Amino acid sequence: MALTLTCPICGERNGYEFKYGGEDKGPRPEESGLSPEAWCDYVHMNNCVAGVQKEWWYHRDGCGVWFTTERDTTSNLEIHNAEVS
Amino acid sequence: MMNRITNLPTLKIDPSKAVSLKYHDIPYQGCAGDTVATALYAGGVRIFGRSLKYHRPRGLYSLDGECSNTCMEIDAIPNERSENLPARDGMVVREQNVKGSAEHDKLSFIDKLDWAMPAGFYYHTMHKPAALWPLAMKQIRKAAGLGRLSPDFRQTGRFDEIFPSTEVCVIGGGPSGMQAALSAAEQGLRVILLEARPWLGGFYDYRTVQDDHAVPLYERGRKLAEKVSAHPGIRVLTHTSLVGTYNNGLVTAFRRGSSEDSFAERYIEIRAKSVVVATGCIERPLLFENNERPGVMQAGCAHRLLNTFGILPGKTAVFAVGHDLGLEAALDLHDQGVNIACIADLRTEGQNPDLLKALESRDITYQPGQTALEAHGKKLLTGVVLGSMDGSSQKTLPCDLLVASAGLTPVSGPLTINKGSVAYDAHTGSFLPDKLPENTRVAGRILGLGDPEAIEASGHLAGLQAAQDCGLDSAADLQKAEQALAELPGPEKGTDFVIGPVSGRKSFICFDEDTTIKNIKQAINKGFDVPELIKRFTSAGTGPGQGGIPDHNLPLFTALYQGSAQESVRPTNRRPPLTPIFLSTYAGRNHDMAKRTPMHDRQKQDGGIFRRLGVWRRARYFSEDLSCRQEVENVRSNVGIFDGSTLGKFRIHGPDCLKALDRVFVSDMHKVKQGRIKYTAMCNEDGCVIDDGVITKMGENDYFFTTSTGRAGATVEWIRYHTRYEGRDFHMVNLTDAFGVINLSGPNARKVIEKVVDQDISNEALPFSGVKGFSIGQNVEVFVMRLGFVGELSYEIHVPSSYMESVWDLLLEAGQEFGIMNFGVEAQNVLRMEKGHIILGQESEQRTNLLDVHLGFLWHRDKPEAKTVGSLALKQAEQDPDRLKLVGLKMQEAKVPGDGCVIVDESRIRGYVCTIRKSFSVDGIVGLALVEGPLAKPGSVVSIYEDECKGNLLKADVVPLPFYDPEGARMKA
Repeated sequence: MALTLTCPICGERNGYEFKYGGEDKGPRPEESGLSPEAWCDYVHMNNCVAGVQKEWWYHRDGCGVWFTTERDTTSNLEIHNAEVS
Repeated sequence: MMNRITNLPTLKIDPSKAVSLKYHDIPYQGCAGDTVATALYAGGVRIFGRSLKYHRPRGLYSLDGECSNTCMEIDAIPNERSENLPARDGMVVREQNVKGSAEHDKLSFIDKLDWAMPAGFYYHTMHKPAALWPLAMKQIRKAAGLGRLSPDFRQTGRFDEIFPSTEVCVIGGGPSGMQAALSAAEQGLRVILLEARPWLGGFYDYRTVQDDHAVPLYERGRKLAEKVSAHPGIRVLTHTSLVGTYNNGLVTAFRRGSSEDSFAERYIEIRAKSVVVATGCIERPLLFENNERPGVMQAGCAHRLLNTFGILPGKTAVFAVGHDLGLEAALDLHDQGVNIACIADLRTEGQNPDLLKALESRDITYQPGQTALEAHGKKLLTGVVLGSMDGSSQKTLPCDLLVASAGLTPVSGPLTINKGSVAYDAHTGSFLPDKLPENTRVAGRILGLGDPEAIEASGHLAGLQAAQDCGLDSAADLQKAEQALAELPGPEKGTDFVIGPVSGRKSFICFDEDTTIKNIKQAINKGFDVPELIKRFTSAGTGPGQGGIPDHNLPLFTALYQGSAQESVRPTNRRPPLTPIFLSTYAGRNHDMAKRTPMHDRQKQDGGIFRRLGVWRRARYFSEDLSCRQEVENVRSNVGIFDGSTLGKFRIHGPDCLKALDRVFVSDMHKVKQGRIKYTAMCNEDGCVIDDGVITKMGENDYFFTTSTGRAGATVEWIRYHTRYEGRDFHMVNLTDAFGVINLSGPNARKVIEKVVDQDISNEALPFSGVKGFSIGQNVEVFVMRLGFVGELSYEIHVPSSYMESVWDLLLEAGQEFGIMNFGVEAQNVLRMEKGHIILGQESEQRTNLLDVHLGFLWHRDKPEAKTVGSLALKQAEQDPDRLKLVGLKMQEAKVPGDGCVIVDESRIRGYVCTIRKSFSVDGIVGLALVEGPLAKPGSVVSIYEDECKGNLLKADVVPLPFYDPEGARMKA
């Protein structure tokens, strides 16, 4: 795997060590008054950006932290200090 | 050795060490250092196999694995590149794609039927009528193709992988690659140097011409190689072929092991900060009629046969070349006794005058501006027609060796595979690197250079550039190196020759796929206008050689035929693997890694039959009776002991731990009390149940919970994921391996355990759903939960792993008088099924939610502030009457269907059987199933389809659950 990711605790490591946790969609919405459609969108709909997106990763074969980082989905490379599209 | 020249300083063979192989049951003697093909060639073999489509005889051509000509079956492995594979004693070699032998192939008549097989022949002949297809395909498969793998073949040997990381990775161990490695290493960087051949040296290694200091190039190469090998910062990997290059500095390769290595083939995944591509050149094949007749070979092939392997490639040779390397080969061959009948050189200018003088002094006929137009010979080469570029002044010369080469072509695969590009360069007549991938440098002949000093200077520069990629400030050195290179001779003039005036019917542009110039014309006439499309339509370049032969000629010929500028075309893209690699190498060692519980050995002694379950190996049965009758009945009537150590066990503590638990568990976690256990479950966002277990409070903000065996590995990740936005303050400890679990079940369980614990364990002191700490044998602290998974009086004893065996022994001893016996995973499965208790993953699948398996009572629907995972989805699912529901089944007949059998009606599938067994505790065959809502009412009858039922569906009644002890009196006793 060409991808490397920078764990906030362990530093830059091989992509094999991490598990993808999806796009960063913000915290869970409040439940009261939430329509089923809005909930379903939050859970299942993705932006699928062709470019830089902010996303969650889990350092599974490492320290076990969940963190966000920016990745260019077209080159599958982590981008540092990127402007998220 | 009789047939070898043994006094050459360039030799890489050891004539004193014989290696014996068998081909056609005839022993062939090679020597140490030989490849399979050179050993056979020395023994007189000229035809190594037959071509894919036309069954034309094929021989040694490139000696670098650029085509499938010498692919052979070696020790039962087909498609081995015999020209690259080192010969080993005892190898058994067979030719491929022949009916008969390579020499006498009964299918060689197909060569005359080429008119019936134009480009794209399969596409436009083989689709109508459709019924004919399978028949035709079978016949074609028989006649065409490469080697065959026996279905009985089992590959042996060790296949492993390494993941080195480095600052600089240099691809290619020729002069520029070695110099780049040295220059980078001298900057204090770590370097990995990859070389496909078994030794360093590249194209210096077999050349005897002298540099400006009168040092022969092979010696210059060896000196460089010595320096490289001695440098502690350089790790040299020879006999290592490139698989691919990728972004972010990833380079993958593989290494074939020699007899001394611990591996048969090793996968190497290198991560580098900078990559130097110094792959040099291969030769551009010369296009003419019958240009692949055995006896025709490239200049480097003939030269290396002589200088590296000590073999005279022929007796009378004609040369048709377009580069000085061809002239060098002619001189060396002449000096070792080969009769050079004529040298036709494509070039009329740009030759090295020293070489011309040397030819003249040896009286070798030299014809500039001439080339080969046709090779003669039925099987082997017998002569060649030479002529001018326009076809005039033709003459035929008899010969048994034709050294044919149009010039050089850079090996740019490592660049184009990684989104780099090449562009046509008119001066060199070849495709030179244009856009380079990030942090990638190039050096040597790939730039068109030919002068040794310039090649090494470019390597030095690339090494410094790589150092710059690694963050070293070497601006001053870089400038000096750039200047030095600029003062040396630049790229060498090459020829723009493509093809002479020939029909092209038997001029092969791709040997692997039997693609001729005529086929390319047909494809272009059909409108396939760019090389990428022509490649796909004619399959040129799609064979094992991966485009090594057609790579350069295809775009050039396309431009020529279309009358467009050569700048307008470029070679087709490469894809990994650049060199064929065993699938076993990708698969790797394939360790069967499994976890063992602390009781593994003891259970094995007791006759346990183990099965893989997730990451564990567990004792599934304790006798050959797979229905486990004795184990089941002993739990129901006496007491059984079960190793439940695989259970997930977790401690969670910290000020926010309740909030975290409330997020993932469906129940109200505030109700979890000390001294009591609570059964609860976890759902995913869709309300589908993913885990169940028990939880108890250990103290303020301190809880202990269990998960199912399969979820233990994902639990910490899951809880942290679902609390990731809030920054909750809690900690989790995975105690799965720290504690073992003994499950003591059966009516006699209390009698056993009260003999070993230090406190009262009566039903009042530790009732059902209670949990309490005890001491066993005075000093082992355990805690005991009263559960009832199997439906009997049951104690789950959590013991520090290291004490497991001791506690187990104490319990066995105490239980002897009460008939204590092991029971395994299968007996537990039957016992809990009778009790109607589910195992997630068995009585659930991806879509099964909490309500479907009747666990809705666990769900505290009114804790919106906790935002419980799955809660919203469950509220939606409540409205849906059509979901599959868990039911009890009782078979109407005495046949046990398999787990997973589908439940059907006349038209469709209505559900499936989860677990079904012959029950010894209740009468009959009972089980659990998931069926559609309308069928789920007690009293309905379902039909089960089984593979062996032959149309007679099995009938079962839907009955209430549980089957056994519905009031739960036994487990609460």
